[in-house]
Amino acid sequence: MLPLLAELAADPVTPMLLADSGDGAVGLAFPFIAGPAVFAAVYGGIYRYYRNTDKRHHFEKETEVAVGNLQRRDQKVGSNNRQRSRTMGGDNSTDPLERVHRISVK
Amino acid sequence: MRPDQPHRSARPSADGGPVQGAPAGPPRGGQQGPPPQQPQPQQPRQPPQQGSPPQPTPPQQPAPPQQPAPPRPQGPQNRIIDTSSGRDDGLDKCPTCGGTDITYSLTAKALVCAYCRHEWNEVNAEEAFGLNTSIADLHGHTLASGTADVREDLTMMTLKCQGCGAEVVINVNQELQARCHWCRQTLSVNSQIPNGAVPDAVLPFQLTREEAIAQISAFADKRKAFAQGRFKSEFVPENVMGVYIPYLVVDGSMHAQLGGRGEVTTRQYTVRTGSGKNTRSETYYDADVYSVQRAFDLLVDDLTVESAQRFDARDNSHATNNILNAVQPYDTENAVAYNSNYLKNFTSERRDLNVRDVDDEVEEKFLSIARAKATPTIGRYDRGVRWEQEGVAVRGTRWVSVNVPVWLYSYADSAVGDGLVHYIAVNGRNGNTMGSVPVSHPKIFAVSCFAGSIAAVIGAVVGFGWFFAG
Repeated sequence: MLPLLAELAADPVTPMLLADSGDGAVGLAFPFIAGPAVFAAVYGGIYRYYRNTDKRHHFEKETEVAVGNLQRRDQKVGSNNRQRSRTMGGDNSTDPLERVHRISVK
Repeated sequence: MRPDQPHRSARPSADGGPVQGAPAGPPRGGQQGPPPQQPQPQQPRQPPQQGSPPQPTPPQQPAPPQQPAPPRPQGPQNRIIDTSSGRDDGLDKCPTCGGTDITYSLTAKALVCAYCRHEWNEVNAEEAFGLNTSIADLHGHTLASGTADVREDLTMMTLKCQGCGAEVVINVNQELQARCHWCRQTLSVNSQIPNGAVPDAVLPFQLTREEAIAQISAFADKRKAFAQGRFKSEFVPENVMGVYIPYLVVDGSMHAQLGGRGEVTTRQYTVRTGSGKNTRSETYYDADVYSVQRAFDLLVDDLTVESAQRFDARDNSHATNNILNAVQPYDTENAVAYNSNYLKNFTSERRDLNVRDVDDEVEEKFLSIARAKATPTIGRYDRGVRWEQEGVAVRGTRWVSVNVPVWLYSYADSAVGDGLVHYIAVNGRNGNTMGSVPVSHPKIFAVSCFAGSIAAVIGAVVGFGWFFAG
Protein backbone atom coordinates (compact mmCIF):
# COMPACT_ATOMS: atom_id res chain seq x y z
CA MET A 1 0.00 0.00 0.00
CA LEU A 2 2.80 2.43 0.83
CA PRO A 3 4.63 1.83 -2.49
CA LEU A 4 1.36 2.52 -4.25
CA LEU A 5 0.98 5.77 -2.35
CA ALA A 6 4.57 6.75 -3.17
CA GLU A 7 4.05 5.96 -6.82
CA LEU A 8 0.89 8.01 -6.85
CA ALA A 9 2.67 10.95 -5.26
CA ALA A 10 5.52 10.72 -7.76
CA ASP A 11 3.16 10.83 -10.72
CA PRO A 12 3.30 14.38 -12.19
CA VAL A 13 -0.40 14.25 -12.95
CA THR A 14 -1.37 13.85 -9.32
CA PRO A 15 -0.40 17.31 -8.07
CA MET A 16 -2.16 18.89 -11.03
CA LEU A 17 -5.26 16.84 -10.31
CA LEU A 18 -5.17 17.78 -6.65
CA ALA A 19 -4.49 21.43 -7.37
CA ASP A 20 -7.40 21.66 -9.75
CA SER A 21 -9.84 19.97 -7.46
CA GLY A 22 -9.67 22.19 -4.37
CA ASP A 23 -10.60 20.66 -1.03
CA GLY A 24 -12.26 17.69 -2.64
CA ALA A 25 -8.85 16.40 -3.67
CA VAL A 26 -8.13 15.54 -0.07
CA GLY A 27 -10.70 12.82 -0.44
CA LEU A 28 -8.38 10.93 -2.78
CA ALA A 29 -6.00 10.39 0.12
CA PHE A 30 -8.67 8.92 2.43
CA PRO A 31 -8.18 5.25 1.57
CA PHE A 32 -4.39 5.59 1.74
CA ILE A 33 -4.56 7.20 5.15
CA ALA A 34 -7.42 5.25 6.68
CA GLY A 35 -6.09 1.80 5.67
CA PRO A 36 -2.61 2.06 7.23
CA ALA A 37 -3.95 3.97 10.22
CA VAL A 38 -6.49 1.29 11.06
CA PHE A 39 -3.89 -1.43 10.44
CA ALA A 40 -1.49 0.18 12.91
CA ALA A 41 -4.21 0.86 15.46
CA VAL A 42 -5.55 -2.70 15.40
CA TYR A 43 -2.07 -4.25 15.51
CA GLY A 44 -0.89 -2.01 18.32
CA GLY A 45 -4.13 -2.33 20.27
CA ILE A 46 -4.16 -6.13 20.24
CA TYR A 47 -0.45 -6.35 21.03
CA ARG A 48 -0.79 -4.00 23.97
CA TYR A 49 -3.88 -5.80 25.30
CA TYR A 50 -1.98 -9.08 25.34
CA ARG A 51 1.49 -7.96 26.37
CA ASN A 52 0.61 -5.01 28.65
CA THR A 53 4.03 -3.51 28.04
CA ASP A 54 2.75 -0.09 29.10
CA LYS A 55 1.46 -1.18 32.49
CA ARG A 56 3.19 -0.04 35.66
CA HIS A 57 2.44 1.00 39.20
CA HIS A 58 1.45 4.67 39.21
CA PHE A 59 3.35 5.36 42.41
CA GLU A 60 3.20 9.12 41.92
CA LYS A 61 -0.57 8.98 42.35
CA GLU A 62 -1.07 5.95 44.58
CA THR A 63 1.60 6.58 47.22
CA GLU A 64 0.26 8.28 50.31
CA VAL A 65 1.71 11.78 50.36
CA ALA A 66 1.03 14.81 52.55
CA VAL A 67 1.73 18.22 51.04
CA GLY A 68 2.19 21.40 53.02
CA ASN A 69 3.71 24.88 53.12
CA LEU A 70 2.92 25.52 49.48
CA GLN A 71 4.66 28.59 48.11
CA ARG A 72 3.69 29.78 44.65
CA ARG A 73 4.92 32.52 42.40
CA ASP A 74 3.31 33.33 39.06
CA GLN A 75 4.79 36.25 37.16
CA LYS A 76 3.86 37.37 33.68
CA VAL A 77 6.94 37.48 31.49
CA GLY A 78 5.52 38.01 28.01
CA SER A 79 2.96 36.91 25.50
CA ASN A 80 2.77 34.32 22.80
CA ASN A 81 0.29 35.38 20.14
CA ARG A 82 -1.14 33.94 16.95
CA GLN A 83 -0.50 30.33 17.88
CA ARG A 84 -2.11 27.55 15.86
CA SER A 85 -2.04 25.00 18.64
CA ARG A 86 -4.47 24.93 21.54
CA THR A 87 -1.66 23.80 23.89
CA MET A 88 1.76 25.29 24.48
CA GLY A 89 4.88 23.67 23.07
CA GLY A 90 6.72 21.34 25.41
CA ASP A 91 3.86 20.99 27.88
CA ASN A 92 5.05 18.30 30.32
CA SER A 93 2.71 18.99 33.21
CA THR A 94 0.97 15.64 32.70
CA ASP A 95 4.15 13.61 32.43
CA PRO A 96 5.71 13.51 35.90
CA LEU A 97 8.15 10.77 34.90
CA GLU A 98 9.94 13.06 32.44
CA ARG A 99 12.98 14.51 34.12
CA VAL A 100 14.06 18.11 33.52
CA HIS A 101 17.03 20.19 34.61
CA ARG A 102 17.89 19.40 38.20
CA ILE A 103 18.43 22.29 40.60
CA SER A 104 19.92 22.26 44.04
CA VAL A 105 17.48 22.92 46.83
CA LYS A 106 18.13 23.59 50.47
CA MET B 1 5.23 5.19 58.64
CA ARG B 2 2.54 7.70 59.30
CA PRO B 3 2.66 11.21 57.83
CA ASP B 4 1.68 14.16 59.95
CA GLN B 5 0.99 17.62 58.70
CA PRO B 6 4.26 18.87 57.29
CA HIS B 7 5.88 21.77 59.00
CA ARG B 8 9.17 23.48 58.55
CA SER B 9 10.90 26.52 59.85
CA ALA B 10 13.10 27.32 56.87
CA ARG B 11 11.06 29.16 54.27
CA PRO B 12 11.93 28.99 50.59
CA SER B 13 12.91 32.64 50.31
CA ALA B 14 12.32 35.96 51.91
CA ASP B 15 9.45 36.89 49.59
CA GLY B 16 7.83 33.55 49.86
CA GLY B 17 8.85 32.39 46.43
CA PRO B 18 11.08 29.51 45.61
CA VAL B 19 14.81 29.93 45.54
CA GLN B 20 16.37 29.46 42.14
CA GLY B 21 19.67 27.72 41.95
CA ALA B 22 19.90 27.24 45.67
CA PRO B 23 23.16 25.74 46.87
CA ALA B 24 23.32 22.05 47.45
CA GLY B 25 21.21 20.88 50.29
CA PRO B 26 21.21 17.57 52.03
CA PRO B 27 22.27 14.88 49.66
CA ARG B 28 19.96 12.35 48.19
CA GLY B 29 18.22 9.65 50.08
CA GLY B 30 20.67 7.03 51.06
CA GLN B 31 23.70 9.12 50.17
CA GLN B 32 23.75 11.40 53.09
CA GLY B 33 26.76 10.98 55.25
CA PRO B 34 28.75 7.79 55.05
CA PRO B 35 27.06 4.98 53.16
CA PRO B 36 25.30 2.49 55.36
CA GLN B 37 27.61 -0.31 56.37
CA GLN B 38 26.91 -3.21 58.60
CA PRO B 39 24.45 -1.62 60.97
CA GLN B 40 25.19 -1.89 64.63
CA PRO B 41 21.97 -1.90 66.58
CA GLN B 42 21.86 0.97 69.00
CA GLN B 43 19.43 2.68 71.21
CA PRO B 44 17.18 5.12 69.35
CA ARG B 45 18.31 8.64 70.01
CA GLN B 46 16.47 11.90 69.87
CA PRO B 47 16.30 13.36 66.36
CA PRO B 48 18.01 16.70 65.73
CA GLN B 49 16.26 20.03 66.15
CA GLN B 50 12.91 20.00 64.35
CA GLY B 51 12.85 21.96 61.11
CA SER B 52 16.55 22.58 60.79
CA PRO B 53 18.08 20.97 57.72
CA PRO B 54 20.84 18.50 58.46
CA GLN B 55 24.28 20.06 58.24
CA PRO B 56 27.61 18.31 58.05
CA THR B 57 29.34 18.00 61.35
CA PRO B 58 32.24 20.47 61.56
CA PRO B 59 35.55 19.23 62.86
CA GLN B 60 35.68 19.35 66.58
CA GLN B 61 37.86 22.13 67.94
CA PRO B 62 39.54 21.77 71.30
CA ALA B 63 37.78 23.90 73.83
CA PRO B 64 39.84 26.56 75.55
CA PRO B 65 40.65 25.70 79.14
CA GLN B 66 38.43 26.92 81.92
CA GLN B 67 35.52 27.38 79.49
CA PRO B 68 32.61 25.04 78.92
CA ALA B 69 32.66 23.37 75.55
CA PRO B 70 30.02 24.75 73.16
CA PRO B 71 27.18 22.42 72.32
CA ARG B 72 28.09 20.24 69.40
CA PRO B 73 25.66 20.46 66.48
CA GLN B 74 23.67 17.37 65.82
CA GLY B 75 24.98 16.06 62.51
CA PRO B 76 23.24 13.75 60.10
CA GLN B 77 23.96 10.15 60.94
CA ASN B 78 22.40 6.91 59.98
CA ARG B 79 20.15 5.78 62.74
CA ILE B 80 19.66 2.04 62.94
CA ILE B 81 16.46 0.47 64.19
CA ASP B 82 16.97 -3.07 65.43
CA THR B 83 14.23 -5.25 63.96
CA SER B 84 15.77 -8.62 64.79
CA SER B 85 13.64 -11.15 66.62
CA GLY B 86 16.22 -11.75 69.33
CA ARG B 87 15.86 -15.48 68.88
CA ASP B 88 18.85 -17.71 68.31
CA ASP B 89 19.17 -19.67 65.10
CA GLY B 90 17.88 -23.19 65.40
CA LEU B 91 14.59 -24.20 66.94
CA ASP B 92 11.70 -21.77 66.48
CA LYS B 93 9.10 -23.11 68.84
CA CYS B 94 5.33 -22.87 69.04
CA PRO B 95 4.53 -20.56 71.97
CA THR B 96 1.98 -23.06 73.28
CA CYS B 97 3.44 -26.56 72.94
CA GLY B 98 7.04 -25.99 71.88
CA GLY B 99 6.65 -27.84 68.57
CA THR B 100 8.72 -26.71 65.61
CA ASP B 101 6.53 -27.97 62.78
CA ILE B 102 4.88 -24.66 62.01
CA THR B 103 3.46 -23.46 58.70
CA TYR B 104 1.51 -20.48 57.48
CA SER B 105 -2.09 -21.45 56.79
CA LEU B 106 -3.83 -19.56 54.00
CA THR B 107 -7.24 -20.50 55.34
CA ALA B 108 -6.48 -19.42 58.90
CA LYS B 109 -4.32 -16.52 57.69
CA ALA B 110 -1.98 -17.33 60.54
CA LEU B 111 0.93 -19.48 61.59
CA VAL B 112 -0.39 -22.86 62.70
CA CYS B 113 1.40 -25.43 64.84
CA ALA B 114 1.03 -28.90 63.34
CA TYR B 115 0.93 -30.50 66.80
CA CYS B 116 -1.42 -28.41 68.91
CA ARG B 117 -3.14 -26.42 66.10
CA HIS B 118 -2.37 -23.20 67.92
CA GLU B 119 -2.77 -20.21 65.59
CA TRP B 120 -0.95 -16.92 65.89
CA ASN B 121 0.69 -14.15 63.91
CA GLU B 122 3.81 -12.17 64.57
CA VAL B 123 3.41 -8.60 65.81
CA ASN B 124 2.82 -5.74 63.41
CA ALA B 125 6.29 -4.58 62.40
CA GLU B 126 5.51 -0.86 62.37
CA GLU B 127 4.17 -0.91 65.89
CA ALA B 128 6.73 -3.32 67.27
CA PHE B 129 9.78 -1.49 65.94
CA GLY B 130 8.53 2.11 66.11
CA LEU B 131 8.39 2.52 62.35
CA ASN B 132 5.15 4.48 62.58
CA THR B 133 6.54 7.62 64.15
CA SER B 134 5.88 10.90 62.40
CA ILE B 135 7.60 11.22 59.03
CA ALA B 136 7.88 14.95 59.59
CA ASP B 137 10.26 14.21 62.46
CA LEU B 138 12.68 12.23 60.29
CA HIS B 139 16.14 13.73 59.95
CA GLY B 140 19.06 12.04 58.28
CA HIS B 141 18.61 8.42 57.42
CA THR B 142 16.88 5.87 59.56
CA LEU B 143 17.60 2.32 58.51
CA ALA B 144 15.94 -0.79 59.81
CA SER B 145 18.56 -3.41 60.53
CA GLY B 146 17.21 -5.69 57.78
CA THR B 147 18.39 -3.22 55.14
CA ALA B 148 22.06 -3.84 55.93
CA ASP B 149 24.45 -4.13 53.00
CA VAL B 150 24.24 -7.54 51.38
CA ARG B 151 27.21 -9.86 51.71
CA GLU B 152 27.42 -12.05 48.64
CA ASP B 153 30.00 -14.36 50.22
CA LEU B 154 27.65 -15.55 52.94
CA THR B 155 26.19 -18.68 51.44
CA MET B 156 26.66 -21.52 53.91
CA MET B 157 25.55 -21.48 57.52
CA THR B 158 25.62 -24.01 60.31
CA LEU B 159 22.49 -24.38 62.42
CA LYS B 160 22.88 -26.04 65.78
CA CYS B 161 19.89 -28.06 66.90
CA GLN B 162 19.09 -27.14 70.50
CA GLY B 163 17.15 -30.40 70.79
CA CYS B 164 19.87 -32.98 70.14
CA GLY B 165 22.99 -30.92 69.59
CA ALA B 166 23.46 -31.86 65.94
CA GLU B 167 24.83 -29.33 63.51
CA VAL B 168 23.16 -28.93 60.14
CA VAL B 169 24.76 -27.00 57.29
CA ILE B 170 22.38 -25.18 54.94
CA ASN B 171 22.80 -22.96 51.90
CA VAL B 172 21.15 -19.74 53.05
CA ASN B 173 20.91 -18.51 49.46
CA GLN B 174 18.48 -21.35 48.82
CA GLU B 175 16.63 -21.93 52.07
CA LEU B 176 16.18 -20.58 55.56
CA GLN B 177 14.97 -23.78 57.19
CA ALA B 178 16.12 -27.38 57.40
CA ARG B 179 15.21 -30.49 59.31
CA CYS B 180 17.60 -31.86 61.83
CA HIS B 181 18.64 -35.18 60.37
CA TRP B 182 18.80 -36.75 63.86
CA CYS B 183 15.73 -35.59 65.74
CA ARG B 184 13.64 -34.37 62.79
CA GLN B 185 12.89 -31.01 64.34
CA THR B 186 12.70 -27.96 62.11
CA LEU B 187 15.68 -25.62 62.36
CA SER B 188 15.22 -22.02 61.26
CA VAL B 189 17.40 -19.02 60.53
CA ASN B 190 15.96 -16.58 63.05
CA SER B 191 18.71 -13.96 63.01
CA GLN B 192 19.13 -11.28 60.37
CA ILE B 193 21.97 -12.78 58.41
CA PRO B 194 23.33 -10.15 56.02
CA ASN B 195 22.85 -12.01 52.76
CA GLY B 196 19.61 -10.24 51.87
CA ALA B 197 17.43 -13.27 52.54
CA VAL B 198 16.03 -12.08 55.85
CA PRO B 199 13.87 -8.94 55.67
CA ASP B 200 12.70 -6.67 58.45
CA ALA B 201 9.10 -7.65 57.88
CA VAL B 202 6.90 -9.98 55.88
CA LEU B 203 3.52 -9.30 54.35
CA PRO B 204 1.79 -12.69 54.52
CA PHE B 205 -0.38 -14.06 51.73
CA GLN B 206 -4.09 -13.34 51.98
CA LEU B 207 -5.24 -14.73 48.65
CA THR B 208 -5.44 -18.51 48.48
CA ARG B 209 -3.84 -20.52 45.73
CA GLU B 210 -7.26 -21.46 44.32
CA GLU B 211 -8.28 -17.82 44.13
CA ALA B 212 -5.03 -17.00 42.35
CA ILE B 213 -5.54 -19.81 39.84
CA ALA B 214 -9.03 -18.51 39.11
CA GLN B 215 -7.69 -15.00 38.57
CA ILE B 216 -4.92 -16.19 36.26
CA SER B 217 -7.28 -18.41 34.28
CA ALA B 218 -9.75 -15.59 33.81
CA PHE B 219 -6.97 -13.26 32.71
CA ALA B 220 -5.58 -15.72 30.16
CA ASP B 221 -9.00 -16.83 28.89
CA LYS B 222 -9.72 -13.28 27.76
CA ARG B 223 -6.52 -13.34 25.73
CA LYS B 224 -6.64 -16.67 23.94
CA ALA B 225 -7.81 -15.59 20.48
CA PHE B 226 -4.48 -14.11 19.40
CA ALA B 227 -2.22 -15.91 21.85
CA GLN B 228 0.67 -17.98 20.63
CA GLY B 229 -0.50 -21.53 19.85
CA ARG B 230 2.24 -23.07 21.94
CA PHE B 231 1.31 -20.93 24.93
CA LYS B 232 -2.32 -22.04 24.69
CA SER B 233 -1.38 -25.71 24.57
CA GLU B 234 1.14 -25.43 27.41
CA PHE B 235 -0.85 -23.11 29.68
CA VAL B 236 -1.38 -24.79 33.04
CA PRO B 237 -2.52 -22.24 35.62
CA GLU B 238 -2.07 -24.82 38.39
CA ASN B 239 1.67 -24.26 38.00
CA VAL B 240 1.32 -20.92 39.74
CA MET B 241 3.82 -20.39 42.54
CA GLY B 242 3.66 -18.30 45.65
CA VAL B 243 6.69 -16.02 45.72
CA TYR B 244 7.88 -13.50 48.25
CA ILE B 245 9.52 -10.59 46.47
CA PRO B 246 11.78 -8.20 48.39
CA TYR B 247 11.03 -4.50 48.36
CA LEU B 248 12.58 -1.58 50.13
CA VAL B 249 9.87 0.58 51.63
CA VAL B 250 10.83 4.23 52.03
CA ASP B 251 9.32 7.07 54.01
CA GLY B 252 10.66 10.51 53.20
CA SER B 253 10.41 14.08 54.41
CA MET B 254 11.55 16.61 51.85
CA HIS B 255 11.21 20.07 50.36
CA ALA B 256 10.58 20.30 46.61
CA GLN B 257 10.94 23.17 44.16
CA LEU B 258 9.73 23.37 40.59
CA GLY B 259 10.14 26.09 37.99
CA GLY B 260 8.90 26.51 34.45
CA ARG B 261 6.68 28.41 32.03
CA GLY B 262 2.93 28.37 31.77
CA GLU B 263 0.55 29.87 29.26
CA VAL B 264 -2.97 31.23 29.66
CA THR B 265 -5.19 31.77 26.64
CA THR B 266 -6.24 35.40 26.36
CA ARG B 267 -7.96 35.31 23.01
CA GLN B 268 -9.21 32.78 20.52
CA TYR B 269 -10.18 33.95 17.03
CA THR B 270 -10.83 32.64 13.55
CA VAL B 271 -9.21 34.06 10.43
CA ARG B 272 -10.67 33.47 6.98
CA THR B 273 -8.30 33.32 4.02
CA GLY B 274 -8.87 32.91 0.30
CA SER B 275 -12.09 33.54 -1.57
CA GLY B 276 -14.92 31.63 -3.11
CA LYS B 277 -14.46 27.88 -3.03
CA ASN B 278 -10.96 28.27 -1.64
CA THR B 279 -12.11 30.05 1.49
CA ARG B 280 -10.50 28.54 4.54
CA SER B 281 -10.84 29.38 8.17
CA GLU B 282 -8.10 28.90 10.72
CA THR B 283 -8.28 29.26 14.48
CA TYR B 284 -5.53 31.13 16.31
CA TYR B 285 -4.74 31.57 20.00
CA ASP B 286 -3.14 34.44 21.86
CA ALA B 287 -1.63 33.64 25.23
CA ASP B 288 0.10 35.28 28.15
CA VAL B 289 3.31 33.58 29.25
CA TYR B 290 4.05 33.26 32.97
CA SER B 291 7.04 32.21 34.96
CA VAL B 292 5.64 29.49 37.23
CA GLN B 293 7.38 28.48 40.42
CA ARG B 294 6.21 26.17 43.15
CA ALA B 295 7.80 25.13 46.41
CA PHE B 296 6.30 22.83 49.01
CA ASP B 297 7.03 20.20 51.62
CA LEU B 298 6.28 16.55 51.03
CA LEU B 299 5.85 13.67 53.43
CA VAL B 300 5.98 10.44 51.46
CA ASP B 301 4.66 7.34 53.16
CA ASP B 302 5.63 3.82 52.14
CA LEU B 303 7.10 4.35 48.71
CA THR B 304 8.15 0.95 47.41
CA VAL B 305 11.13 0.10 45.24
CA GLU B 306 12.24 -3.30 43.98
CA SER B 307 15.34 -4.56 45.75
CA ALA B 308 15.99 -7.71 43.73
CA GLN B 309 17.88 -6.98 40.55
CA ARG B 310 16.17 -9.67 38.49
CA PHE B 311 12.79 -8.05 39.16
CA ASP B 312 13.90 -4.51 38.25
CA ALA B 313 10.81 -3.03 36.64
CA ARG B 314 12.92 -0.90 34.29
CA ASP B 315 14.51 -3.95 32.68
CA ASN B 316 12.15 -6.06 30.60
CA SER B 317 14.79 -7.58 28.36
CA HIS B 318 14.69 -11.04 29.95
CA ALA B 319 11.37 -11.05 31.74
CA THR B 320 8.25 -8.90 31.82
CA ASN B 321 9.16 -7.30 35.12
CA ASN B 322 6.77 -4.40 34.58
CA ILE B 323 3.98 -6.91 35.26
CA LEU B 324 5.21 -7.46 38.82
CA ASN B 325 5.46 -3.73 39.26
CA ALA B 326 1.92 -3.22 37.97
CA VAL B 327 0.16 -5.40 40.55
CA GLN B 328 1.06 -2.96 43.34
CA PRO B 329 0.18 -1.40 45.73
CA TYR B 330 0.76 -3.51 48.82
CA ASP B 331 -0.56 -2.65 52.26
CA THR B 332 2.94 -2.65 53.72
CA GLU B 333 1.69 -1.01 56.90
CA ASN B 334 0.23 -4.41 57.81
CA ALA B 335 3.54 -6.27 57.45
CA VAL B 336 4.49 -8.42 60.41
CA ALA B 337 7.85 -9.08 62.00
CA TYR B 338 9.96 -11.64 60.16
CA ASN B 339 9.44 -15.29 60.99
CA SER B 340 10.92 -17.87 58.65
CA ASN B 341 7.79 -20.01 58.98
CA TYR B 342 5.90 -17.46 56.86
CA LEU B 343 8.21 -18.31 53.97
CA LYS B 344 7.82 -22.09 54.32
CA ASN B 345 6.12 -23.73 51.31
CA PHE B 346 6.67 -20.57 49.26
CA THR B 347 9.68 -19.48 47.31
CA SER B 348 11.32 -16.23 48.26
CA GLU B 349 13.68 -14.03 46.33
CA ARG B 350 16.78 -12.73 48.04
CA ARG B 351 17.39 -8.99 48.21
CA ASP B 352 20.58 -8.21 46.30
CA LEU B 353 20.34 -4.41 46.06
CA ASN B 354 21.43 -2.13 48.88
CA VAL B 355 20.02 1.22 49.88
CA ARG B 356 22.80 2.99 48.00
CA ASP B 357 21.96 1.03 44.84
CA VAL B 358 18.40 2.30 44.70
CA ASP B 359 18.68 5.78 46.20
CA ASP B 360 18.97 7.46 42.79
CA GLU B 361 15.80 5.69 41.70
CA VAL B 362 14.09 6.72 44.91
CA GLU B 363 15.08 10.36 44.43
CA GLU B 364 13.66 10.28 40.91
CA LYS B 365 10.46 8.89 42.35
CA PHE B 366 10.39 11.72 44.88
CA LEU B 367 10.74 14.18 42.00
CA SER B 368 7.95 12.47 40.08
CA ILE B 369 5.71 12.66 43.14
CA ALA B 370 6.53 16.35 43.51
CA ARG B 371 5.62 16.99 39.89
CA ALA B 372 2.36 15.08 40.26
CA LYS B 373 1.47 16.93 43.45
CA ALA B 374 2.07 20.29 41.75
CA THR B 375 -0.56 19.57 39.10
CA PRO B 376 -3.58 20.78 41.14
CA THR B 377 -1.83 24.14 41.65
CA ILE B 378 -1.50 24.97 37.94
CA GLY B 379 -5.10 24.65 36.86
CA ARG B 380 -5.27 28.21 35.59
CA TYR B 381 -2.75 27.49 32.84
CA ASP B 382 -5.16 26.13 30.24
CA ARG B 383 -2.44 25.87 27.58
CA GLY B 384 -0.25 23.84 29.90
CA VAL B 385 2.96 24.22 31.85
CA ARG B 386 6.44 23.32 30.69
CA TRP B 387 8.47 22.45 33.79
CA GLU B 388 12.10 23.30 33.16
CA GLN B 389 13.67 22.98 36.60
CA GLU B 390 13.07 20.65 39.49
CA GLY B 391 14.80 19.76 42.69
CA VAL B 392 14.21 18.15 46.02
CA ALA B 393 16.01 18.48 49.32
CA VAL B 394 15.57 15.34 51.37
CA ARG B 395 15.39 16.11 55.08
CA GLY B 396 15.03 12.56 56.27
CA THR B 397 14.27 9.05 55.12
CA ARG B 398 13.36 5.76 56.74
CA TRP B 399 14.13 2.46 55.01
CA VAL B 400 12.58 -0.89 55.76
CA SER B 401 12.96 -4.16 53.84
CA VAL B 402 9.69 -6.02 53.35
CA ASN B 403 8.92 -9.26 51.52
CA VAL B 404 5.61 -8.98 49.68
CA PRO B 405 3.49 -11.89 48.41
CA VAL B 406 2.86 -12.57 44.71
CA TRP B 407 1.20 -15.51 43.03
CA LEU B 408 3.29 -15.90 39.92
CA TYR B 409 2.72 -17.84 36.74
CA SER B 410 5.68 -17.73 34.39
CA TYR B 411 6.06 -18.91 30.83
CA ALA B 412 9.33 -18.86 28.89
CA ASP B 413 8.75 -17.86 25.28
CA SER B 414 11.50 -19.74 23.48
CA ALA B 415 10.62 -17.99 20.22
CA VAL B 416 12.27 -14.80 21.47
CA GLY B 417 16.06 -14.83 21.77
CA ASP B 418 17.14 -16.63 24.93
CA GLY B 419 13.54 -17.02 25.97
CA LEU B 420 11.59 -14.04 27.23
CA VAL B 421 9.81 -14.97 30.45
CA HIS B 422 6.19 -13.84 30.48
CA TYR B 423 4.61 -13.35 33.88
CA ILE B 424 1.00 -13.41 34.93
CA ALA B 425 1.06 -12.07 38.48
CA VAL B 426 -1.55 -11.79 41.18
CA ASN B 427 -1.05 -9.52 44.16
CA GLY B 428 -1.17 -11.91 47.12
CA ARG B 429 -2.93 -9.31 49.26
CA ASN B 430 -5.64 -7.64 47.19
CA GLY B 431 -5.85 -9.81 44.06
CA ASN B 432 -4.65 -7.20 41.56
CA THR B 433 -3.88 -9.18 38.43
CA MET B 434 -1.72 -8.29 35.47
CA GLY B 435 0.07 -10.36 32.89
CA SER B 436 1.84 -10.70 29.62
CA VAL B 437 0.64 -13.26 27.10
CA PRO B 438 2.86 -14.11 24.11
CA VAL B 439 1.08 -13.18 20.89
CA SER B 440 0.88 -14.82 17.51
CA HIS B 441 2.15 -12.12 15.17
CA PRO B 442 0.82 -13.78 11.99
CA LYS B 443 -2.68 -13.80 13.48
CA ILE B 444 -2.51 -10.15 14.51
CA PHE B 445 -1.05 -9.23 11.14
CA ALA B 446 -3.87 -11.00 9.33
CA VAL B 447 -6.67 -9.41 11.30
CA SER B 448 -5.00 -6.00 11.09
CA CYS B 449 -4.71 -6.33 7.31
CA PHE B 450 -8.36 -7.27 7.16
CA ALA B 451 -9.40 -4.28 9.27
CA GLY B 452 -7.08 -1.97 7.31
CA SER B 453 -8.51 -3.17 4.01
CA ILE B 454 -12.07 -2.52 5.15
CA ALA B 455 -11.04 0.93 6.36
CA ALA B 456 -9.36 1.60 3.02
CA VAL B 457 -12.49 0.60 1.11
CA ILE B 458 -14.69 2.77 3.29
CA GLY B 459 -12.16 5.58 2.95
CA ALA B 460 -12.20 5.16 -0.83
CA VAL B 461 -16.00 5.31 -1.00
CA VAL B 462 -16.16 8.39 1.22
CA GLY B 463 -13.07 10.09 -0.21
CA PHE B 464 -13.79 9.51 -3.88
CA GLY B 465 -17.39 10.49 -3.33
CA TRP B 466 -16.20 13.72 -1.78
CA PHE B 467 -13.73 14.24 -4.63
CA PHE B 468 -16.27 13.77 -7.40
CA ALA B 469 -18.95 15.74 -5.55
CA GLY B 470 -16.48 18.61 -5.07
